[in-house]
Amino acid sequence: MTDTVIDNREVTVLLVDDNPQNLKVLYETLKDKGYWLLIANGGAKALELACCHQPEVILLDIMMPEMDGYEVCRRLKADPATADCAVVFLSALDDLSAKVRGFSLGGADYISKPFQSQEVIARVKTHARVIRLERELQARNRELQSDQSRILNAISEGIYGLDENGIIEFANPAAGQIMNAPVEELIGQCFFDLHFAAAGDSQDPLPVQATCRHGIAEAQRDIQMLRVDRSAFRAKYRSSPKQDADELQGAVVVFRDITAELANEQALEEARATVQEQRDQLAHTSRMTTMGEMAAGFAHEVNQPLTAITNYARVAKRLVGKAEPDLVLLQQTMDKVEAQSHRASEIIRRIRRFMKKPATGKEIVAIAALLEDTRQFAEVDMRNNEGGIELTLAPNLPDVLADPIQVQQVALNLIRNGLEATRSVDSAVPVEVNATLTAQGFVRIEVRDHGIGLQDDAEEKLFLPFYTTKSEGMGIGLTTCQSLIHAQGGEIGFERPIDGGTRFYFTLPVAVVARPESD
Amino acid sequence: MTDIQQTVYVVEDDEAVRDSLELLLQSDDKPVKTYDSATAFLESYSDAMAGCIVLDIRMPGMDGMELQKKLSDKHSILPIIFVTGHGDVPMAVDAMKEGAIDFIQKPYREEALLEKIEAALVQDRQQRKTLGEKQEIVRRVKSLTPREHEIMDRMIAGQANKVIAIELEISQRTVEIHRSRVMHKMGTHSLAHLVRMVLSVKNLIDPR
Repeated sequence: MTDTVIDNREVTVLLVDDNPQNLKVLYETLKDKGYWLLIANGGAKALELACCHQPEVILLDIMMPEMDGYEVCRRLKADPATADCAVVFLSALDDLSAKVRGFSLGGADYISKPFQSQEVIARVKTHARVIRLERELQARNRELQSDQSRILNAISEGIYGLDENGIIEFANPAAGQIMNAPVEELIGQCFFDLHFAAAGDSQDPLPVQATCRHGIAEAQRDIQMLRVDRSAFRAKYRSSPKQDADELQGAVVVFRDITAELANEQALEEARATVQEQRDQLAHTSRMTTMGEMAAGFAHEVNQPLTAITNYARVAKRLVGKAEPDLVLLQQTMDKVEAQSHRASEIIRRIRRFMKKPATGKEIVAIAALLEDTRQFAEVDMRNNEGGIELTLAPNLPDVLADPIQVQQVALNLIRNGLEATRSVDSAVPVEVNATLTAQGFVRIEVRDHGIGLQDDAEEKLFLPFYTTKSEGMGIGLTTCQSLIHAQGGEIGFERPIDGGTRFYFTLPVAVVARPESD
Repeated sequence: MTDIQQTVYVVEDDEAVRDSLELLLQSDDKPVKTYDSATAFLESYSDAMAGCIVLDIRMPGMDGMELQKKLSDKHSILPIIFVTGHGDVPMAVDAMKEGAIDFIQKPYREEALLEKIEAALVQDRQQRKTLGEKQEIVRRVKSLTPREHEIMDRMIAGQANKVIAIELEISQRTVEIHRSRVMHKMGTHSLAHLVRMVLSVKNLIDPR
């Protein structure tokens, strides 16, 4: 009981009865129980005290002159300040209709006279606790609400609460700022008419309409909204349905002005494009350099078929000049001319494709065919290499997603380095090129030579610009390779095989077969 | 002069160039033999080959320059026409310094190539003739007795019979007999001719 006393200390109980004897008994019953007791001997006095002290519990006599208990209760419940008090009616009237009337006016309980003091104590205690809990709950609620509104106020995104017709019921300060109008001016207006130029004359649903009408959440970016002054801005919004139980009650819209964001994105995109352009430019320059280095080889490659064509043409002329031309031999010779023409144009086609600018961009590439083409390409350069190039492809290699020209450029660069390293030690061991599928969904291409090997500090320097081990090199080859492979989403690196030479490798992501999108 | 069959030896790794050149030379009634590598040619090389070599300067494996060196080590006198590409002029110059008769750049005109081949064949004939003459001189020199050879050396050196007789402590008459045998064996009557002949093969006879 001691606990109860301490617990009740803050609880105020108002005792109302026109009979002083009754008041005295009530007072005696409840004193020393730790309540703050107030006494009123009439309805008017009771209302005054209640208004002033907001008691938790009011023990209210029904039968009073001037203003009876029912009227007092009605007034108490009508005043917000006292509406939450627990009214416990006291009366000798022990009939059902009196009790029902009391409850219907908002009474919490009923004690019949003559009352037992234990009953009074128990009921007051119970109601006092209920009211205190309720008040605490309300206080917490208010705190929570003010927290919420602080958050709503502090948030930089605009927030609207709309009813099911799109009428703005709530707007936070950020919404006012974005729309360039006081919040009060926004409330009550139609969201659609206010913020969209197409409102009214469009068949297409406006943003948020589906949320308001059908409870479907929406999110869109980069739509045009109008401010109150009808000036336009680019916006991003999310809307979710406001639902109570299963009933749709409108929508909550969270939106933001993304003009600056879009500008930043565009600047970023431009910067990215510039970088891309420069990388492509550098790659192209590097391809030109490669072609320059290979020019003698190409001239030779093209001269071979041209020489053959010239010779065959002469032979054909002589055949025709004869009295009885050997038509079969003539036919054969002309076929050979044709074959050699194709051979020459194939070389030129390959060069032209390699020199193409800008590169064609990423596409689905059959890596086996590309490497075979590259091998033939590199053989132009290989006339002084006895060993040549050995290409080994794992069976069923999947296609990769990459820029074919840039991949060829990297492969060619690595193969040519390998050939040069092999030459530098007068070796006849072929440069080995192989391609395999890794467990991580990449195709790994390796170029291995049995040449001089890399220096000890290659790890730190090899991919740095302007670092070169070749007397006539510029040192941008591998740097370019690295940037090109990274642009394909792959990796590039090297290893030192235990039995000498160098192994360079690069990886390319396997092309994923596009699945049909669900939305 | 026409006793030896002259052949054009084509050494070229590119199948189409080799085939077309063979057809072309055949249509010009030139005997042709083709080889797809320097190594293949070197394996079938012999002193008896006459004619000229049309040699691609750039080939995988042993290149044209290397073959030239190997043939030179074998004392080959076959004239070599180098076939070069666009960027190979410095190489061609080196080849000329090493004794190549000429070079021709791909793609070439038929006339130019045939002209060069013709010139090479003429040179080959001349060299072969000169070589034949020299070999005859050497054969004659080798037919001399040691005493006759010694007296010839002194004749060429311009010593008079009397001086030779005194230095060799033989009679002047004996010197005269040897001298006439030398002139007879060497097939000449003129001391001046003898001097020319012996000097022309100086490098081919053992120094005494």
